[in-house]
Amino acid sequence: MMSVGSLTDYGINRDLLQTYLSSPIKRRAEFHGFEGIIFADSGGYKNLTQGALDGSDFELEMNQARVFEMQQQLGGEIIVNLDIPIEPDDSFEERCRKARLTAENVDEFLELSKDYPAARYLTVHGYNYSMIDTFMQELQSILGDIDISATFDGIALGSLVPKKDDRELLINAVQGCRDVMAERGFDDLPLHVLGISNTAIPLLAAVGADTFDSSSYMQAAINGKYYKSLLSTVRVEDADFKDCSCPVCSSPELRSRMNGNTQYRKDQMGPAAVHNLYVQMTELKNIRERIQMDGTDGLVDYIENTIGRNDSTRKHAHRVVNESLGGYF
Amino acid sequence: MKRTPTVNEVNEFLEIASDFEDPLELLRESLSNAFDAGAESVDIRIKSQPDGSDIIIEDDGHGMNEEDLKSFFDLGNSSKTDSIGYKGHGTKIFYKSDHIKVNTSRDGITLSAEMKNPWEKLNNRVLPEYDVTKTDAPSSRSGTLIRISGFKSGEGFSPESLTYPKVHNYLKWKTIVGSTAHFFEDDFHEMDITVELDDEIDDSREQLTTTNKFEFPSEQLLPGDGEFPAERMCKLYGPNEITLNHAEGTSTVEIMGMAGGKAARNELPTFGRHSTQFGVWLAKDHIKVERLNEAISHDNEFIHFLFVANCQDIELSANRGKIRNKSSSVYQALEEELSHFLSKVTHDPWFEGYLEARRQGELARKASSESTKAHDRVDRIKSRGRFMPSNDAEILFGLQRPSAQSNAPEIFVEDYHPTDDITAIVRTDGTLQAAAVSSTLVDYFDDEGPLEPAELLICWEWGDTDELREIQRTGYLGSDVDIDFERSKVSYETKDGISGSCDVIIVSKYIDTPMVEEAGTVSSTSTD
Repeated sequence: MMSVGSLTDYGINRDLLQTYLSSPIKRRAEFHGFEGIIFADSGGYKNLTQGALDGSDFELEMNQARVFEMQQQLGGEIIVNLDIPIEPDDSFEERCRKARLTAENVDEFLELSKDYPAARYLTVHGYNYSMIDTFMQELQSILGDIDISATFDGIALGSLVPKKDDRELLINAVQGCRDVMAERGFDDLPLHVLGISNTAIPLLAAVGADTFDSSSYMQAAINGKYYKSLLSTVRVEDADFKDCSCPVCSSPELRSRMNGNTQYRKDQMGPAAVHNLYVQMTELKNIRERIQMDGTDGLVDYIENTIGRNDSTRKHAHRVVNESLGGYF
Repeated sequence: MKRTPTVNEVNEFLEIASDFEDPLELLRESLSNAFDAGAESVDIRIKSQPDGSDIIIEDDGHGMNEEDLKSFFDLGNSSKTDSIGYKGHGTKIFYKSDHIKVNTSRDGITLSAEMKNPWEKLNNRVLPEYDVTKTDAPSSRSGTLIRISGFKSGEGFSPESLTYPKVHNYLKWKTIVGSTAHFFEDDFHEMDITVELDDEIDDSREQLTTTNKFEFPSEQLLPGDGEFPAERMCKLYGPNEITLNHAEGTSTVEIMGMAGGKAARNELPTFGRHSTQFGVWLAKDHIKVERLNEAISHDNEFIHFLFVANCQDIELSANRGKIRNKSSSVYQALEEELSHFLSKVTHDPWFEGYLEARRQGELARKASSESTKAHDRVDRIKSRGRFMPSNDAEILFGLQRPSAQSNAPEIFVEDYHPTDDITAIVRTDGTLQAAAVSSTLVDYFDDEGPLEPAELLICWEWGDTDELREIQRTGYLGSDVDIDFERSKVSYETKDGISGSCDVIIVSKYIDTPMVEEAGTVSSTSTD
C-alpha cells in the first residue's frame, strides 16, 4: 500500500519527492523480488486536512489529474480516484457536497485511467448504510446510472480514520457498505477499508471487509512500540526478541539495533516497524486462513481467543459473533 | 527446648459456633450431611419454644459409624476431603443449644449420643462431653435422627420471622437443595426434602416438600401480549462446562443460568427483593456461596440474570458465607472466564430483543397514559371558553398569536406542558390537535418520543436527512416508519398492526421566507 498523500510525510524536500517518483516502485533495486501488488491510494484525506501536499521546501496543489499521474509514476497496480473524505461533524448538506465533488473526480479518473493497466477502486464514504447510500445517490446524480461492477474492480471505504477507535461505528460502516453494495448489485466486488489496521480487523473481516491498510505498524514504531501481537504492545526497550521468530528478530544485527546500539533513533525504530508489519501480516494470514475454512468455526475461534479476551474489544467481538457468525447460543 | 503451640479448645468451639449467625444455617449443615450420607429423603421439623427452638432432622442415609459420630462432635476432624464440610466446622452450629441427641443406625448397629447443655457449658468455659451407647439394630435399618432442643435461634425461628416461603427460598438459594448438579451429572443423587414448621410458626400449609434440584422457569423466547410484554420472557443458558487454565493448573467451572423478566423470575421461590437474590452466584458443591455481579458489564442490570457457576477449587471461610481464596490464580481465572461468558450472553440477540421488548412495553404504557392525558386536556380547553394561559410558555404563545405570519398555517397554541411528550394542544382550522414539539424530528426520535398520541409534530427543522432515512430503514421502537418529506407527514405501523400518521410542521420554513421578504421591502423603502 502506497499513498500519494504519504509522499511528503516527515517533511521531505522537493528533490527527494522527485526521487520517489522517478521510477515505479517495483523497478527499484530495493524491491527486487517483491511479488506483492502496489495499491496506490489517492491521499484524499491528507489533501482534505492540509489542502495540499506539503513538503519542507515546496507545496503541491493536488487534483485528480496530478494524483493519477503520481499513481502511474509509482507503478500503482490498484489505484483509486481522488476523493473528498467526510468528517465527523459534517452536516448532511456538506456530505452531499463532498460526494458530488468526489463524483466529479471519479468521472475524470475513469477517463484518465481508461487505458492504464491497473485495477480501479471506487472510494465511498459514510459511517452507516444511509450515509453510504446517499453517497451513491449523489455519485449517480453526476455519473448517471453507471454499472459499478463493470466499471470498477473494487470498492474502497474511506473517512473512517477519525473514527478508528469507535469499533461499533466501524462495524456499522462495513456492514452498511456491504448492504448498499448488495442492494445496488455490485457486491461481487472486493471491499477495501482505508486506513484501518487495528484490533477491529478480524471483526471487520467477519462482516465483509476483504482488505485493509494503514501505517499503524510504523506509527507504533515511531512511538517506540513493539507489537507482541495484534492486541498488545510493549516498549521496544522492554521487548524480549527471543519470543518472536520474524526475520527482524532473528537477525543479531537488527536485534542489536532495536536494543539501542545505534547512533540514530530511526535505525532503532526501523527494524521495529518491520517487525510490527510482520506481526500484522502474520495475523492477517491467520485470519484469512480461518475465513477460508468451511463454516465459521475457525473465525469464531480466532475472535474468541484474541479480541474476545480483551476487555475493551470483548463486547464488539461477541456482537459480531452473535450477529454475523452464527452466534454462541 | 521445643514447645508445641496449644489451642484453647473451648474458645475455638465457642468461636466457630458463634460464627454461624443465621439459625437457618443449621438446615444447610443438616441437609449437606444427609446428602453426603446418601439419603433419599430428609424430614425436618421445627418448633418454636420459649427457651429456644426444637429441631428434628431425620434422614434415611447410610448412618454414622463411631468414627463419623466422633467427627460430628469434633472440631476440625472431618472425614471429608475436598467438599464442603471438610473442615469439620458445620455441625458445631448444633452446639448453640440446650441439648443434642443423635440416633444413627448403620450395619446393624445403632449409636446413640447425647450432649447436655453444650452452649451453657461453652459460655462457662467448659468443654461439653457427650455419652455414647451402642445397641443392636435391624440390619435393614439405616439413617440418622438428630434432635436439637433449645436451639439458640434468637428471633430467627420465631413466628414473626420464619415462614414457609422464607425457608423455601433459603433452601434453594443457600443449601444443597438448590443444587444445579443435575444439569451436569447423569447419575445425579436425588433427595426428597420435607420441612414442617410448627403451626405456631406458620400455619399457612401443612409442610413444604421439594427436591434437591434447582429448577429454572420454562423458556419463553417471544414477548407476550399486554402491558408488560417482556415480563414472562425467559431463556436458559447452559449447562456449560468450561476449563480454566491458571497458574496453579486447571479447574472446571460449570455454568447454568437464565435471563428473564420479573414474572419468570417470580416462578422461582424468591423471597423479598430480587436484587439480593439474582445475579451471578459462585458455588461449591453446587451450593451458592457468594455473588460476583461484577461479571456482568455495568450497562446491564444484574437483576435480569440468575447464573450459578460451580467450581470445586474455590475455598470457603469457616462459616461458608464467603470465598477466602480471592487472591488466588484460580479465582482470578474464574472471574475472567465468567465476565467473558456473560459478555456473550449480554450480546446474545435474544437478550437484546428482550431488553427492547421491555423498552417498547414501557414506551407503550407511557404513550397510553399520554393519550389519556392529551384527551383530558382537549376536553378542558373545549370547556374553558377562551384562551387562558396556565404557564409562562403559554403566556408567550398568547403574545405571539396575533402576529402569526400570514403564509404559515394558522396554529394557535392552546396549552403547553413542557414535561409531557405531548407538549402542546394546538388549534388548527378550528380543530384541537395533540402536538409534540422538538427542535428537530431527529431529536424527537432520539428522545424516543411516542408516535401514537401525537397528531402533529412541530419541529424547527427536519434534522439530518440520513439519520431520518436510517430510522426509516431500521424502524423506530419496533414500528415501521415512513417519512414523507414532500407532504410533511410521518406514517407508522406498530408491530401490533396499529397504523397511523401525523403531520409535521417545520417552523423554520415559515420563519425564514417572510424575513427575507420583509428585508427587501425595507430596502426598497430606504432607496425611495
